[in-house]
Amino acid sequence: MIVELSVALSIGAGLFAVGLYGALSQTNLVMIMMGIELILAAALVNLVAFWRYLHPDVMSGQMFVLIVMTVMAVEMAVGFGIAIARFRSRGSVEMEEARELKG
Amino acid sequence: MTQLTLTLLAPLLAALVIFIGRRMPEIFALIGVVLGLVGAVGQLFGVVDGQTATAVLPFLPDMPILLIATPLTAILSLVVATVATFVVLYAVGYMRHDSQRVRFFGTLLLFVTAMQGLVLSGDWITLLGAWELIGFASYLLIGFWHDRAGVAAAATRAFLYTRSADLGLYVGAFVLIGVAGTSEISVTLTAATGTPALIAGLLLLVAAMGKSAQVPLQDWLQRAMAGPTPVSALLHSATLVAAGAILLIRTAPMLPNGALIAIGIVGGITAVITGLIALAEKDLKRLLAASTSSQYGLMLVAIGAGVPIAALLHLIAHAAIKSSLFLGAGVFQHDRDGTDMDALAGAGRARPGIFAGFALSALALAGIPPLAGFFSKDAVIAAALASPAAAWLVPLTLAATVLTGAYMGRALHVLWAGDVIEKPKPVPFMAAGLGVLVALAAVLAVGFGPLEHLLDVELPTAGFLAPALGLTAALSGLALGWWVEPQRLMGPLYGWAQRGFVLFGGMETVMARPALAIAAACEHLERWLYNLVLGFGRINISLGWLARKIDINGIDGFIFGFVRKTIATGGRARKLQSGFIHREMALAVIGMAVIVAVLLAAPLYS
Amino acid sequence: MTGSYAELFFLIFFGVAAIWFGIVVFRTHSMVRSALALLFSQTAIGAMFLVMQAEFLGVLQIMMMATEMSVMALFMVMFMMDPGGMGAMDMSHQKRLSLRAGGIGLIAALAVSWLPDWGPVANSIPDASRQVELLGIELLGRSMFVFESAGLTILTSMIAATMVAIAPRKIGEDT
Repeated sequence: MIVELSVALSIGAGLFAVGLYGALSQTNLVMIMMGIELILAAALVNLVAFWRYLHPDVMSGQMFVLIVMTVMAVEMAVGFGIAIARFRSRGSVEMEEARELKG
Repeated sequence: MTQLTLTLLAPLLAALVIFIGRRMPEIFALIGVVLGLVGAVGQLFGVVDGQTATAVLPFLPDMPILLIATPLTAILSLVVATVATFVVLYAVGYMRHDSQRVRFFGTLLLFVTAMQGLVLSGDWITLLGAWELIGFASYLLIGFWHDRAGVAAAATRAFLYTRSADLGLYVGAFVLIGVAGTSEISVTLTAATGTPALIAGLLLLVAAMGKSAQVPLQDWLQRAMAGPTPVSALLHSATLVAAGAILLIRTAPMLPNGALIAIGIVGGITAVITGLIALAEKDLKRLLAASTSSQYGLMLVAIGAGVPIAALLHLIAHAAIKSSLFLGAGVFQHDRDGTDMDALAGAGRARPGIFAGFALSALALAGIPPLAGFFSKDAVIAAALASPAAAWLVPLTLAATVLTGAYMGRALHVLWAGDVIEKPKPVPFMAAGLGVLVALAAVLAVGFGPLEHLLDVELPTAGFLAPALGLTAALSGLALGWWVEPQRLMGPLYGWAQRGFVLFGGMETVMARPALAIAAACEHLERWLYNLVLGFGRINISLGWLARKIDINGIDGFIFGFVRKTIATGGRARKLQSGFIHREMALAVIGMAVIVAVLLAAPLYS
Repeated sequence: MTGSYAELFFLIFFGVAAIWFGIVVFRTHSMVRSALALLFSQTAIGAMFLVMQAEFLGVLQIMMMATEMSVMALFMVMFMMDPGGMGAMDMSHQKRLSLRAGGIGLIAALAVSWLPDWGPVANSIPDASRQVELLGIELLGRSMFVFESAGLTILTSMIAATMVAIAPRKIGEDT
């Protein structure tokens, strides 16, 4: 049974790596958000795996999954809000062009 | 209490109103002095009823400001108020065309206030204050026409002379306070005996000599004629000059024999010498000024003889007489634009009314019965006769009396003998003030009896001797003055007297030059101190400069270096802050990796 | 044990699918395709949940991600310069750093997955209805505060996102 847990965690690791790469490499704000979605999905996979294979009778694990889903939704909402505002003012959501945060 | 306040505050408030309001100074001045007069009369009635009004204001611990209306001070206060009232009345006319009336009346009322303060003061501190104020106000008044040649110098001279003599008052007053332990005059007078009393008495004599223009400090008074005539009248009759005599009269109970003899001798010599000066004088007002010194000399004789009441009577009579004489002289001065004897020749004939008043006052001063001067001078001669130092005092007194008659006779002669040049315009205000004062000069003697009764003292009587001697001397003096030229009368003394009996180069050398030398020395000292202070300032500035250097190179250098380093670090950190979202995110990932690594490494270092 | 092999097989299958579609998200030039790939990836993850017998979460994940990804596809079309990916334009940067970061993250996560001893594995798990019941008790019992704060967070972010997205108007302007 330990194999399933490790396999699930490995899949989470793969998703995390792909998401990290995407979040760092993409120039488009929406694409970056996709990367972050993948990272969070990796976290979900890990959480479910831990719940399923270690403590299936404790529902805090599932509760944690719900919270992470909330975070995903929030991230999406805020990300799209920023994207809309940015598109409205700059006509683009390309992050290469965004230098306002330069110190 | 109320009367005291009224007497003192009415002129003061009037002065303030005049200075602040700058409108209708004459009206306010008259109101002020009349109210003061009412207050003084009220005081007199109070003391006649046997009440002694006092007003105590808190001041230094155990040394309150004390105003007191004893019979003596109430009488003096009344004299001051009366003369002030009529002088102001006269001045309304005299100063009619002057553009500086506000300043004049304001200062005049200030002066009256100070004089009332001096007269009514019950403690030495108040007296000193009033004394100073009188000196200051008289300086302002004498120098009123300060833009005229010599006037400022005359005012400065008067101030310097009286000021230097004032030191005597200061030291004397503090000796008395020190001996008695209190500043109340009546207490100090009984407390001081023996040597302290002698020292204090002599010091007070010095002060009185300065203020009352006694030899050798007589010179300033004649020069003080530079002021307006009402000022001269006020100064000479009842106030500034009287201050010295008043001081001695008030302190007379304390004075020991030694001091009394000194006072008598000084007074007698002054009476004669200034009488001679007056006789040789070529200017009417200066003549009257010298005569004032002479008469105050007679008062000092009376005090020295131990009969201050005689001095008081003569002071009162003289106040009325001399002020009316000055007012008359002022009228003539207006007519002839000067007070030179030659210019005034015949001025009296042109104004028979004014001349009559003037002549009446002159006869009163000479001592012709039944005018006031006769009785007061009689009292002085009687006092001199009764004095233990009669051998000195009587001849001097008689000589002074003869001289008084002589110079008054001469003045009358000059005023009457010349030709009438033009018919002058009537001068109602001046005539009114003059008329009242002349009337007082004539009939004042009526009041002498009640006065003695009020003060509860007896004049020494010398039978018929004193009046006979006095009358003889006065008549002979008048006759000499009328008919004999002063040059012939005085012979070799004439020229010397005209120069004011200048000894050792005169007061110029004895008083003024040292004073100026001291002033110059003070100036030098001050310059030196100034340079010293300046040097200190320079040292401080260089210290400050040094501190600044250290500040800049040391502390500032350190701080700014630190700041520069911080800024440079910030700049380097700023380069990290590219503004690219992906860079920021990469940094965030690296940061998270570091945190994770640290957390994972926890077992290694925990 | 047969069930366990089948479970392992489906776990690997859906996991690999999820990773593959995750890679496809960043390999295609078409944003719509990216969005669809992400949708498939998330659905595969949902299927993994189902395999792991977390039925409620699996269904929730599939439904939520289907909606979310369709919305994302919509936005893609709106915002992308080249939604169809016809220009074959490279939309990425700092590739080396990203690859390295991804590789290191992968190695580290794999190491963490395989190296530790995870302890005894639970075999019996509650059936689906029981799970939902327990989850409800958990949410309205011990974790109620966390749950409520999550709800509040969503509300706040909704309002905030709306405020950010609304076109800025000058004060006093109508409509």
